[in-house]
Amino acid sequence: MGSTSEFNRRDLVKRAAALGIVAIPAMSVLTACAGAGGGGGDKVEKGTKSAKNPLAVNESAGLDVVIFDGGFGDKYAKAAQGEYTKAFPKAEGKVKLSSTQKIQSTLQPRFNGGNPPDLVDNSGAEQMDFGTLVSKDQLTDLTPLFDAPSIDDPSKKVRDTLRPGVLEMGQFGGKETWVLYYAYTVYGVWYSKGNLQKLDAEYPETWDDMLALCAKAKKRGIAGWTYPGKYPYYFPFSLYPFIAKIGGAEVLRRIDNLEPNAWHDPAVKDAFNAYYELYQKGYVLKGSPGLDHLQSQNAWAEGKALFIPNGSWVENESAKQIAKDPNFQLAVGPPSSLSSSDKMPYGTLWASGGEPYIVPKKGRNSEGGMELLRIMLGKKSSQNFIEQVSSLTSLDGGTEGITLPPGLASAQQVLKKAGGNIVNPRMQDWYVALQKEKIGVGAIGEMMAGRMTPDEAIKKIQKYADDTRADSSVTKYKR
Amino acid sequence: MSAQTGPAGRPDATDSDTTNPGVTNPGVTNSDVTKAKPADAGRGGPANGAAGRPDTKSSEGGVLNVFSHGVLVIWGLLVAMPLLWAVVSSFKDDTEIFGSPWGLPSVLHFDNWSRAWDKANMGQYFLNSLIVVGGSLIGTMLLGAMAAYVLARFDFPGNRFLYFLFVGGMGFPVILALVPLFFVMKNMALLDTYHGLILVYIAYSLPFTVFFLSGFFKTLPTSVAEAALIDGASHTRIFFQVMLPMAKPGLISVGIFNFLGQWNQYLLPTVLNVGDPHKKMLTQGLVALAVSQGYKGDWSGLFAGLTIAMLPVLAAYIIFQRQVVAGLTAGALK
Amino acid sequence: MQHGKYRFIAGFLAVPLAIYAVFVISPFVQAIYYSLTDWTGLSSDMKMVGFDNYARLLKDSVFWSAVGNSVTLLLLLPVVTLSLGLFFAFMLNVGGRRRKKAVIGGVRGSGTYKIVYFFPQVLSVPIVALLFQFAYNPESGALNALFKAIGLGQVQPDWLGDPQIALWCVMAAMVWANVGFYVVLFSAGMSSIPKDFYEAALLDGANRINTFFRITLPLLWDTVQTGWIYMGILALDVSAFAFVQIMSVGPGGPDYSTEVLPLYVYQKTFRDGQAGYATAIGVSLLIVTLIFSAIVMRLGRRERLEF
Repeated sequence: MGSTSEFNRRDLVKRAAALGIVAIPAMSVLTACAGAGGGGGDKVEKGTKSAKNPLAVNESAGLDVVIFDGGFGDKYAKAAQGEYTKAFPKAEGKVKLSSTQKIQSTLQPRFNGGNPPDLVDNSGAEQMDFGTLVSKDQLTDLTPLFDAPSIDDPSKKVRDTLRPGVLEMGQFGGKETWVLYYAYTVYGVWYSKGNLQKLDAEYPETWDDMLALCAKAKKRGIAGWTYPGKYPYYFPFSLYPFIAKIGGAEVLRRIDNLEPNAWHDPAVKDAFNAYYELYQKGYVLKGSPGLDHLQSQNAWAEGKALFIPNGSWVENESAKQIAKDPNFQLAVGPPSSLSSSDKMPYGTLWASGGEPYIVPKKGRNSEGGMELLRIMLGKKSSQNFIEQVSSLTSLDGGTEGITLPPGLASAQQVLKKAGGNIVNPRMQDWYVALQKEKIGVGAIGEMMAGRMTPDEAIKKIQKYADDTRADSSVTKYKR
Repeated sequence: MSAQTGPAGRPDATDSDTTNPGVTNPGVTNSDVTKAKPADAGRGGPANGAAGRPDTKSSEGGVLNVFSHGVLVIWGLLVAMPLLWAVVSSFKDDTEIFGSPWGLPSVLHFDNWSRAWDKANMGQYFLNSLIVVGGSLIGTMLLGAMAAYVLARFDFPGNRFLYFLFVGGMGFPVILALVPLFFVMKNMALLDTYHGLILVYIAYSLPFTVFFLSGFFKTLPTSVAEAALIDGASHTRIFFQVMLPMAKPGLISVGIFNFLGQWNQYLLPTVLNVGDPHKKMLTQGLVALAVSQGYKGDWSGLFAGLTIAMLPVLAAYIIFQRQVVAGLTAGALK
Repeated sequence: MQHGKYRFIAGFLAVPLAIYAVFVISPFVQAIYYSLTDWTGLSSDMKMVGFDNYARLLKDSVFWSAVGNSVTLLLLLPVVTLSLGLFFAFMLNVGGRRRKKAVIGGVRGSGTYKIVYFFPQVLSVPIVALLFQFAYNPESGALNALFKAIGLGQVQPDWLGDPQIALWCVMAAMVWANVGFYVVLFSAGMSSIPKDFYEAALLDGANRINTFFRITLPLLWDTVQTGWIYMGILALDVSAFAFVQIMSVGPGGPDYSTEVLPLYVYQKTFRDGQAGYATAIGVSLLIVTLIFSAIVMRLGRRERLEF
């Protein structure tokens, strides 16, 4: 529907309603709308390209940004917004930044109607499905952004300032990069150095040590592990790299590719058995299956359990609880070695991008959206992010000259130690339903609550994976 | 801080005498209980007022009395404890909420309240909710009564069809309509407006209202209306001057149903009312608080927010309790 | 006269019908149309797929779990809530001591009870759900703490984490949130039942329990029925959705033990980008609700009473 006919239609509807002759005639008028979104998305004119403005942003155009108001809040984005208006004073007052926790219910109608915002932080429980957005041609290719010079060093392209793997994550099977993952998350086993010291222990580098430490803790009435049973898909944060460590990164790649029998790899079974043993020996905090993420983190921060599978956002999320214990010394460990025949060395780690930003294709000011990302990827904004939310950004480095909080410092260390042994399983981006409610809740959660054996869990997961492969309504990816 | 309204905080906790006669009096005086036995209705019940002091005891009564008090007290505790706990928690800081969940706050943290007030923009949102629910409640009652009256008391072709069209709407899962509804609103330029929300609230309250009121109108006597008709009154006048006053008890009942439903509505505004942060409903503010605690763990702020949101409604209920109950009393027996 | 009558009918129906058609009927008609497409919800680009979505439903085991749980809620939630409401209301009005000159009596302090019982009504559904989530916390929640305190330290259920009881936990929260209103509603009704009715029954040798079934319940039946429909809708729609979404594992778990139809609609629309399929689920939810309403209304057809 073009915008002219839309005007007539609206007029007609109003009149129809006013006359009270609604039902049938108006009905045909009222439909059609969600279906026909074409109008509305008139682009603003491009500005002039210059060294200071490599993306040719229209300097006086408005900008519409929607931020996910979750664990990271929206302050960091507001600061970047300030930088943007400093660079483009004529846009002052026209940059609109709103934040929500319900990304999709807020934005879905705008995408359908063809007037999405210019930049969206597509995150949280209501993350819009990337596969769908890509396949329905709703996103802007971010390549111009990556080819633009970095805001700090004009001799470098943005793409050369990013951490390894971040760019590739934003591709969905083609050359284009659709998504920029702004935060950089380190996943693993999170613990308190202080609490381990109380047990005269350090982070266990082998699984045998892990079990021994858990046994020791149990004698003192402390659980080895806890986890958010309401969201058992936290387990993969340490379990997936554990699988890779045992059987090689190849196993995870096959799992991501939904290959037949990928889950029947012996490495999967070893890893599952090892975790199941935690449950069997009573090393998991009682009641964990009924806890949500904050409740489990609280129990863990209070020292009721030593370890929790989590991501680097935990430092910010549980900051208040952690601060209660001055000797807490938050740290993260990579998966322990199961045996000396593990395929990958100790230190193998899952780290990857989080907080995915997209520039919708039908936004009015796509250049502006990309420019704001370019600003955010500058050192100033990046450091601001790190300081505000204790999490790394995708800008490689950028931590010089600021004191990192203990958890982040530890994350930085394990990253360094991991070197090239960083794995990046994609299940949680590619197949959300499969990863969360099927593998996570339906199998791993059941296994860790003791209601399913590892063999049963693996069988069930393989079936879920096979079903997903056969489901034509799910877009598939390969890596 | 006197705002701690637990059951214990109510100064007049023993006022059964004052509340109960009110329960029976206004409601039953007119036509509604007539179906039963009109003569007795207006008597005003000593029955459940505690007027008679417990000087006579029968053994059956004694046992039952202990039993019923026991059960009632247990449920009362089940209901009041969580709320009381939430109110007390709203004065604690987060560590205290988890560290000593049952203790009293060591310091009264009023900062929770101011934070929740700012964050959830309580004052503004409360006003917004009041405007929208007020408007839609009046609209729902008026339009619902009009439709119900016509459908209940007039035979015309298509009557049954329209009745079931309305009543069937009770079964429409709102969640299904959200996106199409958004576009309807957008095309009529009604998004993010009070009147738009009011219209939508009315529309989604009509099914239950029509269902309830048409049942009610059917039970009202026809003789008065017929007499008025013979006197030359128009149908419209009969509706407004004869039938509506007679239907007052039913209107009050369904009004309360609708008020509770509309006041707590949050799915519709989540989609239809997001453009202007100043126009949000109170439920949106509360849900935002509730969701954000999941990311920020601001429990104390959440409890402060819910206490702020709860108190005015609770106060209104306690103040208007008699009227509410009286209305319900009359509406209950048709 | 006839002419005037029709003008009057049309005049009275026009505005309500118009509003209803524009904001309720038309979106639902569109929804039914979407259920026949492969609409993703994120783009206006879609094509007709006929009844593919419905065919897929038949084979979708999650869908059938959701149907099962929704129907369980639909059958039990109204019964439990209304029974408790009736029970408490009866206690309040008839459970008191006998007094001079009164055959039956309410308990002392019934006004206070009515106020306290109404408390949950002033809370939004998401808040109630959160409060219960606190209570159910197996590790430090009120319920398990209570069990410990009364010497049941061995009984420490995982509550929402246990697929056997998770749905019951959610239902308990919904009952908690709704009983109060019905206590007030029903006890209002009861207090307007003329006392002679009870006197007569008691003279006939009935005890109070008999009087409940012989007098109170029949006279309140209309009200009960209205409440039944109202609760049935809550059990199927938004309320169930909010409770399950906030409280349950997953949400919808563990192992789909709390998956309900509105939640499944929501997940398919807002998580999986399958809005077309989601609307097909929604349409089937609509069918369940319509069957329910039809049954309840059929059972309780009202006679036209003339005086």
